[in-house]
Amino acid sequence: MARLARPAPATTRYTEVRFVHLLRKPLLLHGELDYGGADHLGKRVLAPYKEATVIAGDAVSVTREGRAPRQFGLERAPQLQALLASFSALLGGDAGTLRKYYTLELVENAPNWKLTLVPKDSGLARHLRRIVVDGAAGEPRCFSLNEANGDGSVMLLGALADAKLADPPGAAALDALCRAAP
Amino acid sequence: MSETRRIALIVAWWLLLLAGALAAQRLLVVSSDLRSFMPPARNADQKLLLDEIGEGPASQLLLLAVGGAPADTLAALSRGLNQRLGSDPRFVRILNGEMSADALDAQLLPYRYLLSPTLDHARFDADYLRDELQQRVQDLGAPGMDLLEQLLPRDPTLEVLKLAERWTPPRMPQMRSGVWFSPQGEALLLVQTRASGFDPVAQAEAIGAVQSSFDALPSATSAKLTISGAGYIGMRVASATRAEAEWLSALGTAGFIVLLLAAYRRFGVLALAALPLASGALAGILAIVLVFGSMHGITLAFGFTLLGVAQEYPIRLFSHRRAGADAQTSVLGVWPLLRLAIVSACIAYVAFFASGVAGLEQLAVFTIAGLLAAGFATRWLLPAVMPPKFNDVADSRWLERARAALARMPRPRWLPWSVLALAVLLLWLAPTPLWQNDLAALTPAPQQLLQREGELRAALGAPDIRYLLVLEAASADDVLRESERISAQVDKWISDGFVDAVELPSRYLPSFGVQHARQQNLPDRATLTAALGAASKDLPFAEGTFAPFLDDVEQARTLAPITPAQFMRSPFGARLQAMLVERQQHWYGLATLSGVHDAAALAAAASALGGNARLLDLKAASEALVIDYRARILVALGIALLLLAVTVAVAFRDLARAWHVIAPMSLATLLALAVLRISGVSLSLFHLVALTLAAGLGLHYALFFERRVEDAAEARRTLHATLVCVLSAVLVFGLLATSSVPVLRAIGLTVALGVAFHFCLSIQMAPHSARSHAAD
Repeated sequence: MARLARPAPATTRYTEVRFVHLLRKPLLLHGELDYGGADHLGKRVLAPYKEATVIAGDAVSVTREGRAPRQFGLERAPQLQALLASFSALLGGDAGTLRKYYTLELVENAPNWKLTLVPKDSGLARHLRRIVVDGAAGEPRCFSLNEANGDGSVMLLGALADAKLADPPGAAALDALCRAAP
Repeated sequence: MSETRRIALIVAWWLLLLAGALAAQRLLVVSSDLRSFMPPARNADQKLLLDEIGEGPASQLLLLAVGGAPADTLAALSRGLNQRLGSDPRFVRILNGEMSADALDAQLLPYRYLLSPTLDHARFDADYLRDELQQRVQDLGAPGMDLLEQLLPRDPTLEVLKLAERWTPPRMPQMRSGVWFSPQGEALLLVQTRASGFDPVAQAEAIGAVQSSFDALPSATSAKLTISGAGYIGMRVASATRAEAEWLSALGTAGFIVLLLAAYRRFGVLALAALPLASGALAGILAIVLVFGSMHGITLAFGFTLLGVAQEYPIRLFSHRRAGADAQTSVLGVWPLLRLAIVSACIAYVAFFASGVAGLEQLAVFTIAGLLAAGFATRWLLPAVMPPKFNDVADSRWLERARAALARMPRPRWLPWSVLALAVLLLWLAPTPLWQNDLAALTPAPQQLLQREGELRAALGAPDIRYLLVLEAASADDVLRESERISAQVDKWISDGFVDAVELPSRYLPSFGVQHARQQNLPDRATLTAALGAASKDLPFAEGTFAPFLDDVEQARTLAPITPAQFMRSPFGARLQAMLVERQQHWYGLATLSGVHDAAALAAAASALGGNARLLDLKAASEALVIDYRARILVALGIALLLLAVTVAVAFRDLARAWHVIAPMSLATLLALAVLRISGVSLSLFHLVALTLAAGLGLHYALFFERRVEDAAEARRTLHATLVCVLSAVLVFGLLATSSVPVLRAIGLTVALGVAFHFCLSIQMAPHSARSHAAD
């Protein structure tokens, strides 16, 4: 777990591929994750549109370019709260918070490792099947999200954010990228 | 008659009464409907008050707080309670902050375009749709959007969510774990009962259902549920008042039993003493059942109070029983006066019947039937079951000493006149307002409950129970139009700080005109298909995704506007039902106000709205009704006194004798009034009824003391009977006077004082006592 911990503040670039069954091709999003300490996480989408999500403690604000910021309490959507808390905890290396929401399983194949988080709470499990974190040595490489309705996303972090992807990117290729040796 | 037969008859009489009581309990409907108690409404506000107050939206709200456990547990309990109560027909709606996207039934879904304000300022053209669809793509870029994905094909502009947001209360508590929480960390819920807030029985049932639903939830034992709201406080106050009245009455009854035993030294009297009063009460109830069918609880309480005079009848019979004479002979000695008292009281109560107020008419019927039955029982039934041997009370020595002492008492002619002058002076000097118009002040709620209610009401932003904004028009649609017309000005009241929030009926349902205008703004299928195609050209949505959207818009274009009746069947319909009511072919919109800061400014602003909009102050309107009721009671009492005097004068065929009966009775009533007033008591309906009872008892004292009797023994019997009556009344009502509940204190103190004054003045002003029997 300590391997995951980022010193705050830390900024990581990412490329996210989101598979949504309503869309005929996956969304490809580029942006940055800001980790500002235990209770502060920023997720900035820079392309193809601009959107900033800031999670500070219990409050979330979403700002879209050209629109007034929308404030809402995480309480509005308890499932989102657990999801965002897990991002924050992953980046902070906070095993206590993660264990509160998930059962953890770590598989090592040095230098690569794979951490699988399966939701404990049935409320969260209605929305989320699992989160998989792939990494190598001290660095996480990918966050993958499997949602219960079949949607999902793969977030490529750091150097992988610049990896060249096919159009449209396939799930298998992304998987291979995440598990490749650094 | 054999002793066995006598006892059998007494038992039979009691059993008959018991059976009658059981039947009466089934037959009599004790209503809590103010209409059956108050005088008929004189203006629109009073009419609305009487028709609506009980069903008023704010008075139906129960405020719930769940505390004493970790936030997660409390949130789960709040959700569980919402689910359980949501399926209970006793409740109209439960709000706890949980957002529900099914604000509309599936078959009403196409109406969303007529209900949501989106089309007032936007058109479904390519630009608008492109912007919306781009936002949907961004929405889908975040995880956890299952709900949105289900909605999207049918509702890409998310009108359903806009409506759900529009229909959440205007001011909301903070959210934690998806439900409302107070600043003190309790989960908060707002529950609207179907029952009227002023129906204590139905409220108690609803409150019981809330508590038992809560207790049945898992982990409920670790948390604590607090209930508040107008209905809850009403129930608590009523049960506290009842408990205290029962306890004091039990004590009074015990004292009365001891008094009877001391006065007559026979256990037998106990079985007999209550028979005439019980028979009278039963007759009164049966008369009400036959004539009216139902009776207001307050009227019933007044009726029992007034019937209290009947307790004197058997006592007169017992005390006037002569040694050696049988009961039938004895009763003949007192019957003419008792008959006069009963007949004159009944004639006097006819004035109540003529008042035109349902409550007073019921009171008259109850009391007249009760007095006649009690009198009949005393004259014809009671003597038949009296024991053949009875102590003659005239034999006791102390009674003769007391009689002699009273007879020697100086009776200066100036004394009544000085008492009159004193009473008038005291009335003049009284420090407080003459009348107490707020009936609620007589049964006040504990400060602690009120404070808690205030806190929860503020935390929940729940509507005020005193003020309503009333819109009046010829049809429901006119009310909605009026509501739309004023909504901009009402928003200004909020920004001006007069009030925190106003909930208008048009928030839920737009008028036909507005619905029609929105409909006109919907594009036809071909136009919309083209606009949608252009809008989603560069977006990754699959072909045909939005076919359900095209269908719904097409359907919405030709729908007949949704009517109030249709809307009232939808999940949010109950809200509208409480805010849009029809009375006598007239429609009223009742807009609730939350956090009223400046009632005067609101009233002025409301009347400046024009049309038929006005601020209804429920408290002022109900006080106006009480004033009206009181005015009628006063007129009825005045006429009653007149009728009484005439009856007595006609019966005596002697004005001087009538004067000797009426004068002490009137003076004592005035004196009791003066003493109450100088001790700072403001008068209410309850005081007036209590004064009437005291006057009824006073009439007996004056009649019996006025009677010219042939011997000292009979005078002793009269004194004995009167003493037993006075002591028992002072004992029973004096105990009530010690109550902590103002209404019981009001009745108790007034009757006890009145009886004492009636006794003193009727002895003091008796015409014969000084001269007669001196030689005896």
